[in-house]
Amino acid sequence: MTAADRRRARAARGPRRAADGPPPRPAVDLAVRIGPMRLPNPVLVASGTFGYGDEYRHVVPPAQLGAVVTKTVTVRPRAGNPPQRIAETAGGMLNSIGLENVGLAAFRAEKLPRLRALGARIVASIGGETPHELERMMEALGGEPGVDGFEINFSCPNVAKGGARYWAVPRRLERTVARLRRHTRACLIAKLSPDVTSVPELARACEQGGADAVTAVNTFVGMALDLGHMTSRLGRATGGLSGPAIKPLALARCAETAAAVGIPVIGSGGIVSGRDALEFIAVGAAAVQVGTATFIRPRASLEILDEMAAFLAGRGLASLDAWRGCLALGGRACAAPAPAAAHELAERAR
Amino acid sequence: MSATITSTWRQVAARVVRHEDWGGGHRWLDLEVPGDLPAPAAGQFVQLLLPPPNPVLLPRPMSIAGARRARGRAVLGFLYAPVGAGTKALAALPVGAELELLGPLGRGYPLEAPGTPLLLAGGRGVAPLLFAADALARAGRRSTFLFGARTAAQLVGLAEARARLARNGGRLHLCTDDGSRGRRGTVVDLLEALAPRLAGPLVIHACGPHGMLAAVARWGLAHGVPAHLAMESVMACGTGVCRGCPLPRSAERRAAFDPAATPSLYGNREYAMCCTEGPVFEAHDLDWERVE
Repeated sequence: MTAADRRRARAARGPRRAADGPPPRPAVDLAVRIGPMRLPNPVLVASGTFGYGDEYRHVVPPAQLGAVVTKTVTVRPRAGNPPQRIAETAGGMLNSIGLENVGLAAFRAEKLPRLRALGARIVASIGGETPHELERMMEALGGEPGVDGFEINFSCPNVAKGGARYWAVPRRLERTVARLRRHTRACLIAKLSPDVTSVPELARACEQGGADAVTAVNTFVGMALDLGHMTSRLGRATGGLSGPAIKPLALARCAETAAAVGIPVIGSGGIVSGRDALEFIAVGAAAVQVGTATFIRPRASLEILDEMAAFLAGRGLASLDAWRGCLALGGRACAAPAPAAAHELAERAR
Repeated sequence: MSATITSTWRQVAARVVRHEDWGGGHRWLDLEVPGDLPAPAAGQFVQLLLPPPNPVLLPRPMSIAGARRARGRAVLGFLYAPVGAGTKALAALPVGAELELLGPLGRGYPLEAPGTPLLLAGGRGVAPLLFAADALARAGRRSTFLFGARTAAQLVGLAEARARLARNGGRLHLCTDDGSRGRRGTVVDLLEALAPRLAGPLVIHACGPHGMLAAVARWGLAHGVPAHLAMESVMACGTGVCRGCPLPRSAERRAAFDPAATPSLYGNREYAMCCTEGPVFEAHDLDWERVE
């Protein structure tokens, strides 16, 4: 365990240490609240990029993360799509995994207890082909102790049924979220696709339905061809594009979404550095998710967290809240730039 | 509850200490890594992350071709061909350059398996078998090495293979598709021809193109000879998380699949992940008709 690990562990333990005396104050307060969920920091690991917490636990103690969003689980186990499932493209990667997962029963009996034992805050990602199937999932898991939140995967680009296209209908989204809301008091998050006419419109539907937050955005549908073999480089025609290639696209959608809804927005898409993460927070995101970066550097999430804290401390900011929204698109729910942040902006304008 | 997997791989800094041309479009790379990195087994691999400016995004999986320890440091050797943007950038790294490495990853050859080891290499698939030959020689076991390639020039690492075998009196047999060196034909032709003359029981450890490995697997299954094949796949994470490197399980393994008896990373009846269940598989594990 490095000194930085110990520092994060102390920060993550937070108030629970009260009996042993006051915990040492981190230099920058990174705590964030998303609906009913309080997180010690704003860096979550994205669904499908951290398994169920097991595989990386020896290099990234899950308790040090804001939260772990688990691999999307569906009612029945899914074997996933045939190979090839991965194709690297310029600055990004296409994936066509196809929601491979262990299924509800194994998730509940085996994965959840193990993740709980690791002390992680848990956001369970759930998927379904119909509103009914999602409701079944939520009936089963909604009251599960130790699950801090649910992220509903309304945006998988790689399944024939119940994928991003199916859910890109505001009325269907709103009704489904409202049905799911009845089954849980935990944080209810809707993960949205960028491949829609308007992400803000879908986000508003989720807000109306009772969602506590939205995640903007999932991967972009993309293609890559192999002209040598005259075929797709993936087993299916298309896949979901992630990585630095999509960051500007994701940032714009996150910004317009954050400006359009009153609930927190979790920014996601191509974040590989602390500065990337701070751009999403600057446009109004409450927190961020790190995904593909973990495949490149397993410790990316914790490195990003350290970079964020160092950047904010370097600007003389005591908390992430002072930074949040400093570059938000005009409109509601955006705090005026904090003095230090405004100074930074002025400097950049020169 | 299913068994857990205890991962031991690490993300460490590595330094180029030797980097040279080995002919036939191949290069040898020695990387110095911290001495406390878990010792790799032949058949295991690492993910190499190039220093900036890095023309590629994802780390590059690379089979370990040798490992040794000196003065509290470990040195891992690699044999590769600069063919893509990533390996071409790797080829440009001078001695002294720093990069990062993730490993050791995956499951290697079960070299302790009983029988006379028969090492089968096709082309640059020789890399993990140089390591295997070395490990077997150190364990005092005599092995037989069958090495095939398209042409004599593609028999890269021949001298190294010979040196490793010589220590325990192992034999090296060569073949080329064009007959420019050794017997004309494939490694499987060579295997067919030699097997009756070899003292059994045999155990095969092989690496090469998937077509060759499928043929070796079928030969092993037909002759009741256990065969361990090191597979390749496009990968993203290399650690079992992304589920990006599936290989089709055999009907036999699908039928016998018991999730409850399966370590957590191995929970898919249809596909085995190359990175964590492999890259070394037993012939019975995979559906060779569907391996691409």
